[in-house]
Amino acid sequence: MLRTEEMLLNVGPQHPSTHGVLRLIVKIDGEMIVDAEPVIGYLHRGTEKLAEDLNYTQIIPYTDRMDYLSAMTNNYAIVHATEQLMGLEIPERAEYLRVIVMELNRIASHLVWMGTYLLDVGAMSPFLYAFRDREEILNLFNELCGARITYNYMRVGGVKWDAPPGWIEKVGTFVEYMKKQMRDYHALITGNEIFISRTKGVGVYSKELAIQYGLSGANLRVTGIDWDLRKKQPYSIYSRFEFDVPTGKTGDLYDKYLCRMNEVVESLKIIEQAVNQFPEGGSIMGKVPRVLRVPEGEIYVGIESPRGELGCHIVSKGKDKPWRLKFRRPSFYNLQILPVLLKGENISNLVAILGGIDIVLGEVDC
Amino acid sequence: MSHEEQNEKELLKEEKELQPEPSADAKTEKKEGEENNPVKAEPGESDAPVTAKPGLPPKSSVPRAPRAAGAGKARPAAGARPRPAAKKAEKKPEEPSPLQPQLDRFLRLLKDRLGEGAVKEAYINRAGSHIPTLVVDKEHWLSLAQLLKEEESFQFDYLRLLSGVDYETHMEVVYQFYSFAHGHQIAVRVKTGRDEAKVPSVSHLWKAADWNEREAYDLLGIHFENHPNLRRILMPDDWVGHPLRKDYEPLDKEV
Amino acid sequence: MVLGLVKGLGITLKNMTKPRVTYRYPDEPLKMPDRFRGIQYLDPEKCIVCNQCARICPTDCIQLTGKKNPDPEKKGKVLDTFDINFEICILCDLCTEVCPTEAIVMTNNYELAVYSRDELFKDIRWLHENNQNIRSENSTNLIKKPGGKTT
Repeated sequence: MLRTEEMLLNVGPQHPSTHGVLRLIVKIDGEMIVDAEPVIGYLHRGTEKLAEDLNYTQIIPYTDRMDYLSAMTNNYAIVHATEQLMGLEIPERAEYLRVIVMELNRIASHLVWMGTYLLDVGAMSPFLYAFRDREEILNLFNELCGARITYNYMRVGGVKWDAPPGWIEKVGTFVEYMKKQMRDYHALITGNEIFISRTKGVGVYSKELAIQYGLSGANLRVTGIDWDLRKKQPYSIYSRFEFDVPTGKTGDLYDKYLCRMNEVVESLKIIEQAVNQFPEGGSIMGKVPRVLRVPEGEIYVGIESPRGELGCHIVSKGKDKPWRLKFRRPSFYNLQILPVLLKGENISNLVAILGGIDIVLGEVDC
Repeated sequence: MSHEEQNEKELLKEEKELQPEPSADAKTEKKEGEENNPVKAEPGESDAPVTAKPGLPPKSSVPRAPRAAGAGKARPAAGARPRPAAKKAEKKPEEPSPLQPQLDRFLRLLKDRLGEGAVKEAYINRAGSHIPTLVVDKEHWLSLAQLLKEEESFQFDYLRLLSGVDYETHMEVVYQFYSFAHGHQIAVRVKTGRDEAKVPSVSHLWKAADWNEREAYDLLGIHFENHPNLRRILMPDDWVGHPLRKDYEPLDKEV
Repeated sequence: MVLGLVKGLGITLKNMTKPRVTYRYPDEPLKMPDRFRGIQYLDPEKCIVCNQCARICPTDCIQLTGKKNPDPEKKGKVLDTFDINFEICILCDLCTEVCPTEAIVMTNNYELAVYSRDELFKDIRWLHENNQNIRSENSTNLIKKPGGKTT
C-alpha cells in the first residue's frame, strides 16, 4: 500500500469555475476531498450599511448589484417589503409588469446557470446557445428600462416605465420562441451520455439535511419538497396564475438540472398568462407620498428569487431611511452546505457540485 | 393620507421657491433631534407599557410632528406598536388577527413547559403578514429554542431568517422559523445588552444558523456563546470594529 | 450509448445554417433603444438649481453650485458649476427622474473608456456638449404650469 499524505489545495478567489470571487480551501488526500472550507467576503460592499444612509428609492439601484443575474427580483424584494410596511396599493398594470419582468429574469438567470454549469462539466456549445437566448431577454429589458443588467426598474408603489408600444407582443413572441428552444436544449443536453455520467448520483443529500441547512429554491425542491413561495405564501398577483412547482426525486445534480429547466417552462407559462391578461391602460404608479416615510415597525418578507428565498427584513423608525435593512440572500444560505457535500468526493466533482448549488457571489457577500 | 397632502404642499412650495425641501427636511430633522434628547437621557428601561401609548396612533390624522416624536423615542418605544398596551388598544378598533388563536396556543404550551416569565412578550406583527412574534431575554433563549425545534406540536425545523439589529439601547437577534410539518411560522426576538452583547448559539439546532451567527458577530459584534467557529466571515480577519453598530466610525469618511 | 451525442450534434448542425447573432461591436457601433441609460446631457439654461439630482444620487457623484441670476428682473438662481464624477456614477437614472425641468437628461451614448481616471470627472461644459442621441422620455417629475411645462 502506498503511503498517502494530505495536502491543501487553494481554489480561487480567481478561478473560472467558482463563478465569482469565492475561495475554497480544500484538504485532499490523493484525489479525495477530506475537507473543504469556503472563504467568502471578497465582494463585500456593505450594502446593508450603506442602506442605512439612503432613502428607500436610493436603495433600489444598490439591490441591482446583489444578485446581478436577477436584479428584478432584488428590486422587488425591497419595494415589496417597503410597500407592505406602508400599506400601499399597487395598480394592476404595474403588478403585471412586475410579474412579467421577474419571470423573464428567472429564465435569464436559469439560462446563465445552465450555460455555465455545462461549461463546468465540460460542454462548450450549450453555453453559447444559452447566452444567445438570454440576450433576447436582455434586449427586452433594455427596451423596457434602459439597462441590460442593473435595471433599477421598480419603485415603491409601482414601476418606473410603462411597457413601450409593442413590447408586450414582443414578450409573447419570445415565449413562443423559448418554448421551441427548450426542445433543442433537451435534445442537446438532457440525453447526453457524458452529462449524465457526470451528474447522475452525484452530490445527493437528504430532505432533512436540506431543511437543516436552510436551503431554498431548486436546492430544496430537488429533495422533493415543493417549497415555492410563489405558491406557499403568494405575493404580488401570483395566485392568479396556474403553474406547477417542479420537484426532484433523487436529489442529485441531474435532478437539479431538470428541476431548473422545468422551472423555465413554468415561468414561460406564467408569462404567457400574464401577457394574455395584461390590462389595457391604467396607471403604473400607485398613490405614493412624495417623501417616503415608512411607518414605525418591523417586517420580513420572503420572495422566490431564481436561487431561492430572497428575504428582506426592514426595521423602520418612521423616517425616510431604514433603521436596519437586512437581506436574506439565498446563495449565502445555500453555500453553507458545500463542505458537507464535498467531504469524501472526488476532486473532479468539486466544480460540478459547486456549480449545482448555483451561487452568485454578489449576493453571498452582499 | 395626511402625508400626501403635506407632500403636495411641499411640492407646491417647491415650485415657487424651488428650494424648499432641504429646509423642510432640516426642520423635521431638528424636531426629531430635540425629541430625541430627553428620551435618550432616560435609560433603556422605558419598556413600561405606558410609554408605548404616545407612539401608538400612527393612523390618526395628526401629521408628522407627533409621529416623529414617537419615532424619536429611544428604541424600546420603537417596538411601541406591539407592546401589550398597544395590542389591547389595537384590538378594539381592529378585528383580532386570524393568527391570534395560534399565538395563544403557542403561549399556553410554552407556559406549560418553560414556566411563567420565559417569554417576555408576545404579539402579532400586523405589518409583517400577521406573524406571531415572541420577545425573550437571552437567558431563556436556549431552552426556548430547544423547545421550538423539538416539541411535537412546534417542530420549527426551518430557519428562514437570522438578523441582528442594533437599537442603540440594546441589541436584538431576530429569528424567523417555519415548520414543514405543521406549516406554521413564528418570529423570535432575542434581546441582549449592548456592551456585552451575548446570545447563546443555536447552530447545533439549526445548521443554517452557523454562518448567519458569524455574520451577525462580524457586522454587529454579537457574541454567540458556544458557537463552534465564531470568526469574521465577510470582513477581513484583522478588521477593527463592527460596521453595522450605530456607533461605528468608518476609517475613511469619504468611502 | 452514443445516441445522445448524435442527437446533440444534430442541434449543432441545425444551428450552422441560422443567421449570425453576434455583433461586430467596436467596428460597428451598437444601436441602443431610446430608453437606454447612457451618459447624461445637461442643459444649464433649464436648470433651476433645485439640487434634487444631487440629493437623490445614491452615490453622491453630482456636485453643483448656483449663483444669483445676473438678470435683476428674474428671480431664482442659475447654474454656476455642475460636475459628475463618472468614476462612481452608476447611471441609475434617478437624477433625470427627479429633475423638474429636464435640465439633466439621459443620452444613448455609453462609451466612457479613458486612459486616466481624472478624465472621468466631467464638468458643465463637457456635459453640455454631450448633446447627441438624447433620450426622448426623461423626467417623471415635470413641473406643470397652466401654460404647459416650463422650460
